[in-house]
Amino acid sequence: MKLPATSSSKAPVKPTADNLVPIRLDIETEGQRYKDAFTWNPSDPDSEVVVFAKRTVRDLKLPPQFITQIAQSIQTQLTEFRSYEGQDMYTAEKIVPIKLDLRVNHTLIKDHFLWDLNNYESDPEEFARTFCNDMGIEDPEVGPAVAFAIREQLYEIAIQSVASAREIKISKKGRRGAEHAISSKGGGNALDLMKLFRYNSSVVRKRKEWYVYEPIVDILSNEEVDALEAREDRNTR
Amino acid sequence: MEMPQYDPNTKPEFELYTIPSHSSWFRWDDIHETERTALKEFFDGSSISRTPKIYKEYRDFMINKYREEPSRRLTFTQVRKSLVGDVSLLHKVFRFLDEWGLINFGAVSRGDDSDNRDSSLGDTELKNQVKIEEGAPNGVRVVALPNSLKPISVPNSGADGSGNGKVAVAGETGVKLPPLASYSDVFGDLVKLKGFKCGSCGEQCNSGCYEYSKQGSFVICEKCFKNGNYGEDKSKDDFRFSDLGGNSLTHGATWTEAETLLLLESVMRHGDNWELVAQNVPTKSKLDCISKLIELPFGEFMMGSAHEMNSCPTGSLNSLKEGQSASSENQNDVKMEDQVHDQMNESKQNGDAATEEPPAKRKRIAPLSDGGSTLIKQVAHISTMVGPHVTAAAAEAAVAALCNESSCPREIFDGDEDYLANGLSSPTMVSDPERALQVDASKMEENQSETQDASSEKNDVPLNLRIRTATATALGAAAANAKLLADQEDREIEHLVAIIIETQMKKLHSKINYFDDLELIMEKEYNEMMQLKECLVEERIDVLERALKTGVSKWRS
Repeated sequence: MKLPATSSSKAPVKPTADNLVPIRLDIETEGQRYKDAFTWNPSDPDSEVVVFAKRTVRDLKLPPQFITQIAQSIQTQLTEFRSYEGQDMYTAEKIVPIKLDLRVNHTLIKDHFLWDLNNYESDPEEFARTFCNDMGIEDPEVGPAVAFAIREQLYEIAIQSVASAREIKISKKGRRGAEHAISSKGGGNALDLMKLFRYNSSVVRKRKEWYVYEPIVDILSNEEVDALEAREDRNTR
Repeated sequence: MEMPQYDPNTKPEFELYTIPSHSSWFRWDDIHETERTALKEFFDGSSISRTPKIYKEYRDFMINKYREEPSRRLTFTQVRKSLVGDVSLLHKVFRFLDEWGLINFGAVSRGDDSDNRDSSLGDTELKNQVKIEEGAPNGVRVVALPNSLKPISVPNSGADGSGNGKVAVAGETGVKLPPLASYSDVFGDLVKLKGFKCGSCGEQCNSGCYEYSKQGSFVICEKCFKNGNYGEDKSKDDFRFSDLGGNSLTHGATWTEAETLLLLESVMRHGDNWELVAQNVPTKSKLDCISKLIELPFGEFMMGSAHEMNSCPTGSLNSLKEGQSASSENQNDVKMEDQVHDQMNESKQNGDAATEEPPAKRKRIAPLSDGGSTLIKQVAHISTMVGPHVTAAAAEAAVAALCNESSCPREIFDGDEDYLANGLSSPTMVSDPERALQVDASKMEENQSETQDASSEKNDVPLNLRIRTATATALGAAAANAKLLADQEDREIEHLVAIIIETQMKKLHSKINYFDDLELIMEKEYNEMMQLKECLVEERIDVLERALKTGVSKWRS
């Protein structure tokens, strides 16, 4: 997401190598449900949204009512994203834990790792690619889903901190507001760097903790997939 | 690696690890300049989480981890779980070490880099991961009662009650594979599968079977499919044709000509509907079809044009699909040619007319002479507009099909080509196909008049001829186009060479002029020198004269 660091820098600063917006769609019309998740480039012209919606409906043979709904949903999310742009973000390092818990077709993935929100070279897509290669995942849909999940979480966290910063600014106007903002930027999400990277502690984790941060990839059988889907449907209704 | 100081009598236990020579700067105890430059983030003091000490820990850990098992390729995912820190940064360190060969230097290399992964993953990659699948694999339904259908069992099928391969199941219930069934029981039979039994009529499916794509284990023979006995609750579209070549396991890497032909026809008919296309092309999955189509030189045109034309030629194509004769194949080729060219053709109507022609000719409804000239004109017109590569590709397909014919028609084909080749020497491109057109049209009219009243068999002959001449025309036109382009290139090359030679000449000339000037200057200088010399001599003589005049007898020099 495009969050310029300070007023002095001209080039847009992004928390990840590409500036992409995670978009999630979940539309239900006339008994048909369309769920999807992908990333969108916010610098594309808005006319592309309608084109994309039309193409999707045609490819998936959905009824035409979906076109407007899809386009609307995408637009809303895009405008929401844009409203967060231009916020000043403190560019200190901010390491947040990212948890992956997703299911793509037959693959179930659980993972847990740390991500630096302000590392502008970080690339969720590259991480996802490496992940799929290392774990030997052959389903080509898993990579993008992983990247999307990461982006979504980063986005959430960024929004949270922006929102909280706003609140703080409002509530503590003029009263050492900036300092408080900085200190509470840590929030509940970022890990305390001081604690982690203390001088006399090692960055190598203890073995017994390895399993926490280890990825788990499961290939499910058809029945399990059906069962999970049914449960998800029940939950979301 | 490390050489601790041992007593020279005891054999020191070395563990030798190879690293490339360009990484010889590496030291355990130190951080080299290379590392500092490549991984600046650790050394600029920008954050408490990025210090040289931390970098060293990351690096040492990764290298040690790799060296625990040097033949095994260390993956990033294996190390990142053990290290605290931003995963992107860790990945950067990992990649740095990998590039410099400090890790994974001796490991079995992965075939491709992460950019393009084929579905054919190298064995080395697979052997590192163990995939555990629960339940029966896809496509296998285990039947408890052997009387539902006679399962095809190879004699040593120990685990009875376990379905092998594509057992046709009338009933839907299956029993899970008993957990102790060995791999060979389940999969051995799959490999030895000999034939299918139809699910609805119980007969052996010899030539081909239709597999129920939703469940993957229900098979009916061709006859039943045609008759419409699909079994309960199944509709026609759910069935997928599969050939009995035992090629359920092929990944579609190799495409024979027949399959390509089928694919193109299916795309014509179904356009973007990949499910149906995949159905019509046996043994190739949807993805294979799409990727193969894209690979074909005119694949993208097909996809676009098929989409445009999917309304129109459906009927005509269907009628053609029935016949298995070579002529119908030819027609399809020509039509495909047309379709390809259609992409570039403004007038869609002509295209419609062309595709309507072949079936019309077959039924002998339209007047044949008109049909002939329209088709040929059409083809020629299109060929002239299209670039040589496209026509070459389409012509290739046509020629390949034509090559399957007997020798006689081939000669006719060659004859046409010769004629056309002769006609190529004329300068203008447009007149060529037109002339050929006229000749062909007249030729065809001859043929038509001969065989006007013939039976349907005989009708195929002039049909073939026409089509062949049409393709020959297209080839001729494409060749003319190509030749002209080649001529143009040649001329350009000549022109450029001439320019080069001229420039060289000019260079030489100016050099010569320069030297001439120099010579002139030198001569002048020389003359001046001579004059000076003469002056000097004169002066000397003067001095001597005077000296003599004044009577200086003795000469003091």
